Amino acid sequence: MSSVTQIAPTPVAPAATRPRARKRLRKAGWNVLGLLVLAVMIFPVFWMISTAFKPGRDILSYTPQWIPLHPVLSNFTDAIHQQFFWNAVKNSVIVTSVVVVLSLVLAFLAALALAKFSFYGRKPFIVVILGVQMVPLAALIIPLYIMMSRVHQVDKLSGVIVMYLTFVLPFAVWTLRGFLLGVPKELEESAMVDGATRFGAFVRILLPLLGPGLVATAIFAFIQAWNEFIIAYVFLHTPEKQTLMVWLASFTTLRGTDWGPLMAGATLCSLPVIIFFVLVQRKIAFGLTAGAVKG
Amino acid sequence: MAELEFRHVSKSYGDTPAVRDLNLKIGEGEFVVLVGPSGCGKTTALRMVAGLEEITDGEIRIGDRVVNDLAPRDRDIAMVFQNYALYPHKTVYDNLAFGLRMRKVPKDERRARVEEIAQKLGLADMLERRPGQLSGGQRQRVAMGRAIVREPKAFLMDEPLSNLDAKLRVQMRAEIARIQQALEVTTLYVTHDQVEAMTMGDRVAVMRDGVLQQVDSPQRLYDAPVNLFVASFVGSPPMNLFEAAIEADGTELVFGDTRLDLGGRLLRDYAGRRVVVGIRPEEVREASGWDGARVRGRVLLVESLGAEQLVHIEVAATPLARPDLVDAAAQPPGPSLGVEERERSVTLLGRFDRHLLLTPGEAVEVAIDPRLLHFFDLETGAALPTADVQAVAGVAG
Repeated sequence: MSSVTQIAPTPVAPAATRPRARKRLRKAGWNVLGLLVLAVMIFPVFWMISTAFKPGRDILSYTPQWIPLHPVLSNFTDAIHQQFFWNAVKNSVIVTSVVVVLSLVLAFLAALALAKFSFYGRKPFIVVILGVQMVPLAALIIPLYIMMSRVHQVDKLSGVIVMYLTFVLPFAVWTLRGFLLGVPKELEESAMVDGATRFGAFVRILLPLLGPGLVATAIFAFIQAWNEFIIAYVFLHTPEKQTLMVWLASFTTLRGTDWGPLMAGATLCSLPVIIFFVLVQRKIAFGLTAGAVKG
Repeated sequence: MAELEFRHVSKSYGDTPAVRDLNLKIGEGEFVVLVGPSGCGKTTALRMVAGLEEITDGEIRIGDRVVNDLAPRDRDIAMVFQNYALYPHKTVYDNLAFGLRMRKVPKDERRARVEEIAQKLGLADMLERRPGQLSGGQRQRVAMGRAIVREPKAFLMDEPLSNLDAKLRVQMRAEIARIQQALEVTTLYVTHDQVEAMTMGDRVAVMRDGVLQQVDSPQRLYDAPVNLFVASFVGSPPMNLFEAAIEADGTELVFGDTRLDLGGRLLRDYAGRRVVVGIRPEEVREASGWDGARVRGRVLLVESLGAEQLVHIEVAATPLARPDLVDAAAQPPGPSLGVEERERSVTLLGRFDRHLLLTPGEAVEVAIDPRLLHFFDLETGAALPTADVQAVAGVAG
């Protein structure tokens, strides 16, 4: 006993300080790295916004001007008055909202089937859902274009909506299935014993608990549909039918790029995504089911 | 309140039977505990009553209604789940009121009933909290409250205490028993813990592999188990079991170098055959002052429990060769640290007075009262069906 108390403190004390100092250093190193990554990621956004407020001569000046010295709004008015702007806004809103709503409804039902019922071929189905997400989109565009043109869906918003669903749905199903599996089946059973029908238990118990999952899926679908460029560019030829991202590309012509209005337009296009995210991000409160089960 | 009855109820999942031909009647206001090791079909039986599991064969009655094809919500029963299954997005108040709302109880009455129950269960000042903000014991009480507030025909409880720590479990055990007695609601309670079963139930039903083994009062179950499984499952520490031979026209029991006189009353049919002998740990006594039969042994281990001590004593006898007949989890590790000159030995567990000084390795003599022994068939595990055996066992309690 006494030998233990004598031996223990002496070697431990000096050894303890050195690792602590090293730990602090390592932590500082990680923090610096984090800041660097942040800077790299935030810079294009900063440059976009900054450029949007600069007058033309400042944009093309050889000495970079970090913050606009004489901020102007003319780029924004130019962008808004550019041909087809409001058309593009309307198209983007239609495509995005239809994709979000449809993907939520379809993915939810599919995920419900996959999570709660056992049926023949369920496992392969799940594997396929995961697998198709690994196929690069670019490889699919030409075959899909041919398919869609056969059913007369090229140059139509409905065609683009279907295309978006093909790559939003697998991810949405997969995510929602995870959320559904996280809700213990006893909650529904308890509601049924307490007097609810199966549908009632679903609406009153399961659905509210899936809020965070539905929000996460909605955000994903929104961002995908709003920001998508390649498919929209390939499928939508008529200027009146183009979405905002394709419209942005119209600032680049054979004669050059009109940077000011382009950056102003890009800033405007980013706003809905940011607003949408700010609105719903509070709902992504994971761990809402805490306290349902176990002691 | 209502009777609850299983009539020839069976349940299989594909080819795997979970419950086989279960017959059990629970009287009005009675508290029956279904107990057995995990996978014995007890939870399945309970879920069939709740309507959460389909019945393969037979019928279940609540009151005078066959409920086989009724939806859970139409059976008017309340269930407490092992993991409580509280609705995490609802407050304690809404959790308690959910069943009443589903049954369209008017708002004022709903509030009155919820508040009354909350008062009774000590939940009154946490009605606005959510389950995530409650401790384990409080969640347990909310789950109980949700069942009680409905005033159902019967309570079904599926291991409601297994998620609590040991101290709280003992406390809630008494509380549930008290609530049940006060409300006099027919209750079917499932547990794998035989102590819980013995302390709470008016009657205890022991199940194994989907088959009901014995239904009886806790005391009868302890004193007169119908077979080896019940004998080994009920009681903590479990009954000591070993093999022995019946000789001399059924009047003598022989194991190791011990020869016990049974008084000529018992087991005439088993003369010349081997049987299983069982003795409860509290009947394994130190032999000083005992003028009857003694068994010589050696102390292997002494476990002090404060009020008493558990002594492991190695004696010469044949260990049970049929572990399939007993509750394997309850059996102490078999023959050990050999007594050199003997081929086989068993460890007898004894509950001894704490003042008795014993040290491991010490030789000791154990008093055996043949009237307190239990006998079982070596092949079937059934308690030997002599009237005398049962009468004697009754005295033993």
